[in-house]
Amino acid sequence: MFRLNLKIALRNLWKNKSFTLINIGGLSIGLASCMILLLYVKYEWGYDKQFTNYKNTYIIYTNHDTGTDKTSYAWTPALLAPELKAKIPGVKYASHSSYPEAHLIGNGENSFKTNAVFADNDFLKMLDYKFLQGNPDQALQKVNTVILTATLAKRLFGNEDPINRSVKLDNQDVLKVEAVIADLPKNSSIQFEYLLPWVLFENKNPWMKDAGWQAMICLTMLQLDDEKTFGAASQLIKSIYERSDPKSGNEALLHPLSKWHLYADFQNGKSVGGKISQVKTFFLLAFCILLIACVNFMNLSTAKSEKRAKEVGVRKVIGSTRKMLIAQFIVESFLLTILGLILAFILIEASIPYFNQLLNTDLIIDYTDWTSWTALMVLTLFTGLIAGSYPAFFLSSFEPVKVLKGFGKAGGSSLPVRKILVVFQFVFAACLIICTTVIYQQINYIKDKPIGYNKDNLMEINLVGALQGEGKFKLLKEQLLKTGSVTSVASFSRSINRMGQRAFNISWPGKPKNGDILFNYRFAGYDFIKTIDAGIIMGRDFSANFNDEKNVLLNQTAVKVMGLKHPVGSMIKWGDGNVTIVGVVKDFVIESPFEKTLPMIIGHNDNNSAVAVLRLSPDQNLSNSIAQIDAVVNGINPGFPVERKFVNDNFEEKFNNEKQLGIVANWFGGFAIFISCLGLLGLALYMAEQRKKEISIRKVLGASNINILSLLNKDFIKLVAIANLIAFPAAYVIVSKWLSNYDFRVPITLIPFCAALLISLVIASLTVSIQSVKVAKSNPVDALKYE
Amino acid sequence: MIELKNIEKYYANKGVKSYILRHVTASIKQGEFVSIMGPSGAGKSTLLNILGMLEEPTYGQYEFMGEDITSLNERKRIELYRNHIGFVFQAYHLIDEMTVAENIEAPLLYKKVSGAERKSRVADVLDRFNMVAKKDLFPNQLSGGQQQLVGIARALVAQPSVILADEPTGNLQSAQALQIMDLFKKLNQEEGITIIQVTHSEVNAGYGSRILHLLDGVIKEDVTVEQTV
Ligand SMILES: Nc1ncnc2c1ncn2[C@@H]1O[C@H](COP(=O)(O)OP(=O)(O)O)[C@@H](O)[C@H]1O
Ligand SMILES: [Mg+2]
Repeated sequence: MFRLNLKIALRNLWKNKSFTLINIGGLSIGLASCMILLLYVKYEWGYDKQFTNYKNTYIIYTNHDTGTDKTSYAWTPALLAPELKAKIPGVKYASHSSYPEAHLIGNGENSFKTNAVFADNDFLKMLDYKFLQGNPDQALQKVNTVILTATLAKRLFGNEDPINRSVKLDNQDVLKVEAVIADLPKNSSIQFEYLLPWVLFENKNPWMKDAGWQAMICLTMLQLDDEKTFGAASQLIKSIYERSDPKSGNEALLHPLSKWHLYADFQNGKSVGGKISQVKTFFLLAFCILLIACVNFMNLSTAKSEKRAKEVGVRKVIGSTRKMLIAQFIVESFLLTILGLILAFILIEASIPYFNQLLNTDLIIDYTDWTSWTALMVLTLFTGLIAGSYPAFFLSSFEPVKVLKGFGKAGGSSLPVRKILVVFQFVFAACLIICTTVIYQQINYIKDKPIGYNKDNLMEINLVGALQGEGKFKLLKEQLLKTGSVTSVASFSRSINRMGQRAFNISWPGKPKNGDILFNYRFAGYDFIKTIDAGIIMGRDFSANFNDEKNVLLNQTAVKVMGLKHPVGSMIKWGDGNVTIVGVVKDFVIESPFEKTLPMIIGHNDNNSAVAVLRLSPDQNLSNSIAQIDAVVNGINPGFPVERKFVNDNFEEKFNNEKQLGIVANWFGGFAIFISCLGLLGLALYMAEQRKKEISIRKVLGASNINILSLLNKDFIKLVAIANLIAFPAAYVIVSKWLSNYDFRVPITLIPFCAALLISLVIASLTVSIQSVKVAKSNPVDALKYE
Repeated sequence: MIELKNIEKYYANKGVKSYILRHVTASIKQGEFVSIMGPSGAGKSTLLNILGMLEEPTYGQYEFMGEDITSLNERKRIELYRNHIGFVFQAYHLIDEMTVAENIEAPLLYKKVSGAERKSRVADVLDRFNMVAKKDLFPNQLSGGQQQLVGIARALVAQPSVILADEPTGNLQSAQALQIMDLFKKLNQEEGITIIQVTHSEVNAGYGSRILHLLDGVIKEDVTVEQTV
């Protein structure tokens, strides 16, 4: 019986090739989309969970009371880790480590600039990376050692044994390779290619020694003995700042390592989610797309009902029970699902490298993992049942007498149900179109928002190696300006688009008690404001004509929060020294363009800067300019590759998260629409079949092709329009919720809604027309003859 | 084997009852060959459908092989289909996706006949109907007469006690029609299968042993056919 059912199912599929193709196509795209999204969700969900004891491992956040609310960030003083380990019972390990930063590492012949982290031995105890060579117990203790990842070891030493070989850090420190670890999984928050001892960090930055409790310079991570100690320990740790530095108003907060990536947003000192909402959205999207594909399947299968009705009637009178018929239809739907699944695998394997590149992820189908197989089985079963059950119950319910008597319309018409299903599909599709449009609108809005400086034609050169030397920057500046490719050059203490360098240690006349404010602080050389082309509101830029050693610039926000009436010329206190404000700069964006600008103070320093900022001359040919710049930099600093980057590119990176969301919404929204259209095509096929006779009669009575076409399309247009109306309020809620995450947001206009209506209507009528043109043009005799 | 007592059938449409069958009482014995005749719309098909339990009468009593059909559940009815009743339709109603052999085999599958037995029975029937060469063809590759032969073969293969045929030759040319009638007569006489057919043709009715004349839902005449052939 089963074999015959299978055989008949196959014949049926073969006979209705276009139906089968539409069906399998829709199903496979749905399944593939669903699986890729689920892989992505699994990947994001697995962030930082590779480590044995991740459950007891925490990141220390600093909550700072700004007076109005609290800001939270995972930056801490270097003194915190030892203090925690010494004073808090239940703390097993506590580590201080730097945030990943690119350093130059070389083997004497080749050098590479790649990410390094300075950390201590406890760091390795908590994040138990896989050691391929060397001993984790003793690693990172001696000052002149380094741990490489497998890839970097290979790059530096090829197939030779890297252990005990020497490498040179920043062309300066000679280090011995003491261990090699496996490459880090991409879904690990801390990304580096080599690990350096914390002591080396301290040696390289001697000022750190007396940085004290106010300097938020590192990441502190700790591990507790077990979960039970969490309550007591977190209570004690909360007030650790107060005990060490009573006037700071800071609190320490334990944030689980496993939540670091997905729950990174803090409001008023509490974790309020973050990327998790995006992950949840994708999870939901995965099932919605699958559901849409299932709906499609139902639509198409029941659309064939006219054809299947006779078979059902006959089978019933020769002794088939309803159950047997249901079984037969379910067999058919599983067959289709499995075919769809096979095609889905091909689609996934073909598209996953593309998605990985797009999303910067490391998604793979792990064929050796039983959980993925179980998930797959469940998914197949789910799809087969959802997709197959409605057609099975619907078709098997036909009463033989009605069918066999030739009363045509078998059983109750399934059309209303099908219309509802199509509306459901298009509600979803329209929502996705609206959301996608708003995401892109938001990105563009933020991009077009004035950022306060001119980032076009602005280049940064990392000052490394010899460029760091005394007087070298001055030389560089002179030579660059001489080439004529550059109109202005200034030094800056940090790449313009990089975060970090924040401090509280600024006081001014009239500052309230406990009124510490978090400032972004930077150091800039002469002509900085001129180079980046930011606006000066009051006062002046740093200039070689003055002695600016004890002078600072403030941004507008700083002046506002400090409440200074006459900022220029005022004396304020920065750390232990007094400085004079010589200029006020219009706010310019150096951190997230989505958020309000922090107050910023810029001190003057022409040495020890991280980057040189170059304004390229617009009159010069770009590649010429670059060649000239490279020549100058190489001349001064021969050992290093020239590290230059356009500020524009750096700025683009700030949109990665939103772009990613946009891409996913775009792609999968596209798929959803495509699948929905397949469903619509199915419905159109069905309608055309049902109305063949009516149309023929109308044609005999004199209706033109256009009349028929509009008659057929009208109903569908109505369905799609209704779907849009339902989608609008839903999409509005979703979109406003998403936008509320941003300080600056594009106003919600009618455009996305009109776009959704227009796109869905156009696509839908095109789809339907494929079918209705055929019907409209057909010869009426063909249909009437058989009545 | 079949007892109809006072069968009534009407459709209520906006409170107006339109009667299809009125006071139909009849008794058909095992081995009879009955033809139901009458003008179009007289209720012939409805009567046959009631006999085949495809429709339920509004009133009246129907006994099939001593069992009261009105109180029969779905399971029992399917059992009757499997073991006692074979249908033959004017439009043949073969399953298009199945070959000739598979169409014939289908009722046996539902009856859960063993594989070997199925094979031999299907082979038997094919042989008898001279269709061995066509067993792997699909219905649309056959002529109307051939399709109806397959339809009859399918009705027969489960060895039913009664065959219900609604205008079995309605779509056929007269030569083919006569072939089918010959077959019915042979089945009736040699195997004792009860046959009830609806027909418009006096000639076809002549093959049977008894004619029920139906007019506006009422049996007007119940005549026994003189066996001339
Ligand atoms: N479901 C129904 N609803 C209303 N009237 C019906 C229905 N089925 C059959 N009829 C009517 O019953 C009458 C008898 O039908 P039928 O038994 O098919 O006649 P015959 O087979 O003798 O031509 C017809 O007039 C037909 O219109
Ligand atoms: Mg009839």
